[in-house]
Amino acid sequence: MSYCVNCGVELHPGAKVCPLCQTPAWNPDLSDPSYFPTKPPEVLPVSKREAALLLTAMLASVSLCCGLLNWILPTERPWSLYVIGAAVMLWIWLVPPMLARRLPAFFKLTADVAAVGVYIWMISIDLNGGHWFRGLALPILGWICVIVFLLSFLLRDRRRSVLSAISLCIGAVGLLTLGIEFFIDRYLRGVWEPQWSLVVLVICVAVIIPLRIVRHVPSLREEAQRRLNL
Amino acid sequence: MAQAGKGWYKLDNAGILYSALQSEEYSAIYRFSALMAQPVRPAALQCAIERVMPRFPGFAVRIRRGLFWYYLEPNTAPGPFLKTDVSDPCQPVRFREDNGWLVRFYYYRSRISIEVFHALSDGAGALAFFRTLLAEYLRQLGYAIPAGDGVLNLDEPPRPEELEDAYARYAGSHAFRLRRLPRAYPGTGTPEPFYTFHVTMGFVPLDDLKEQARRYGASITEYLSAVLIQVLLEKQRRERPYREKQVALAVPINLRAYFPSGTLRNFITTVRPYIDPALGDYTFPEIVSQVRHFMKLHVNRQELQAAFTRNVRFTKNPLLQAIPMVLKNPVMALNYRLLGVRPYSCTYTNPGAFAVPESMRPHITGVEAILGQATVPRCHCASISYGDTMEITFAGTQAETDTEREFFRFLVRQGIPVRIESNR
Repeated sequence: MSYCVNCGVELHPGAKVCPLCQTPAWNPDLSDPSYFPTKPPEVLPVSKREAALLLTAMLASVSLCCGLLNWILPTERPWSLYVIGAAVMLWIWLVPPMLARRLPAFFKLTADVAAVGVYIWMISIDLNGGHWFRGLALPILGWICVIVFLLSFLLRDRRRSVLSAISLCIGAVGLLTLGIEFFIDRYLRGVWEPQWSLVVLVICVAVIIPLRIVRHVPSLREEAQRRLNL
Repeated sequence: MAQAGKGWYKLDNAGILYSALQSEEYSAIYRFSALMAQPVRPAALQCAIERVMPRFPGFAVRIRRGLFWYYLEPNTAPGPFLKTDVSDPCQPVRFREDNGWLVRFYYYRSRISIEVFHALSDGAGALAFFRTLLAEYLRQLGYAIPAGDGVLNLDEPPRPEELEDAYARYAGSHAFRLRRLPRAYPGTGTPEPFYTFHVTMGFVPLDDLKEQARRYGASITEYLSAVLIQVLLEKQRRERPYREKQVALAVPINLRAYFPSGTLRNFITTVRPYIDPALGDYTFPEIVSQVRHFMKLHVNRQELQAAFTRNVRFTKNPLLQAIPMVLKNPVMALNYRLLGVRPYSCTYTNPGAFAVPESMRPHITGVEAILGQATVPRCHCASISYGDTMEITFAGTQAETDTEREFFRFLVRQGIPVRIESNR
């Protein structure tokens, strides 16, 4: 029979430490079996195959119905391609993550952006918009992809504080707007004259600076936590 | 109420809520365990389970998804089967797994445990089931255990009142309005990885506890509630918040004591004893007095009836009934977070003494109760007494042990010896 010298409670004879305060117990009887079982529960991952199948069937039936309608009742434009493209895009976004237990973030992001790119490309073909697709849509899409990938890479570290994560997100918004204006200016005027994106960027920087100060000054950080009940 | 001849049951109010909240991260599961005098014989226990399940049709069910609500139907699948116990109890339930069974049975050395999904039954109903199971297990071992004294006769058919929806039966004409309760100190800690569930049990002599409670003129439930509030008030103060919030407990009340019913399904409601530190400092005797008077003032037939009548009206509302379940469930989950989680700091339940017939007493050495995980990383407290020992459990998914540590240290300082067991 042993007692915790810190809490004053009686401990299990085999306990090496007090479970309440982690104070080491004196001379534990290691031959004494544990009071609780030590076998962890077996938890199988939930199968989302049925949900993936249902979603695939729904998207396929919508695409098929629209395609048939468009074929039976022909119009000037192949409008059903828009619906079919959207269905394919949704399928790529939703179904592979359901079937694969662990999909690498880079692969998932690339597939998602590629799906959007293909959809916009289909629209550009229908509207004879190869020029704006190559000059505007594709670079903006690529820029979004780069920013999101960088952000997800930086936020991967779970030890990062909430304030640091918020600062990174705000910084990403600033960079994103800067890039978007750059591509729009280059496409429309051929020269980069930053205006509205600079305003957004300055606001983002103005928010990030106090956040970084609060993050690095312990007294301010504690005060913020108290006031926000974090 | 059971749908006679249709082979399905409507869920009661509590069942509707617990089913709506069910997710991969949270399920309302609780556990009762009995420590036997001899190591458990699994074959005899499995035989006892097979004998007992047909007598309790409210437990031998599976849950099904309807268009507007979940419902229960008799489960004809094989099982439920006895399993060896695991280190982290009260794992969330998955409706489609384990052949749809919503009751689990475990054994470890001399301990027999049952885990029940709260949509089926409350603590009082589950204890009646557990008592009958233990009696049948002892019979399988060759002991003569007569029915009666809380042990149901397995040769009798189930009585209709055991399956009744007592909430609907006793719903009155007056209901409390839905009012927003103030946000309480959450008392949350650092969440542990998924499927980690920490359990810390304290065993205290019942006589010492009674004597201490009597010193303050309180019952054991009131005394332990006051200790818990005191500990949470101190914990909040240590965190130096900008504004101190109320410390409030959710204390389930067994309604069978006020509304005669033989139901084995849910028939509880909760009351909310609290202390507001914004009003000033309270000494421990003052906290006990506040809790005691709160209980005396609010735990009465009329107020309890008005409280559960509101929930009955909610489920009977034709407009709400017409909303599909997929839309209703997220709203109910949000409502639970606002009205069932945020206004409370902790849940404390005390089903009282586990009474068994005289012939069973030599074979059972102790009883334990565990409340399942909360929706947020904080601990729940449950206690149950058997013989001259009161068992108090703190269980939760948080890494910190400060609440239970200060609680048991407080009892030690009050002169009550405490023995601790934990799966940490």
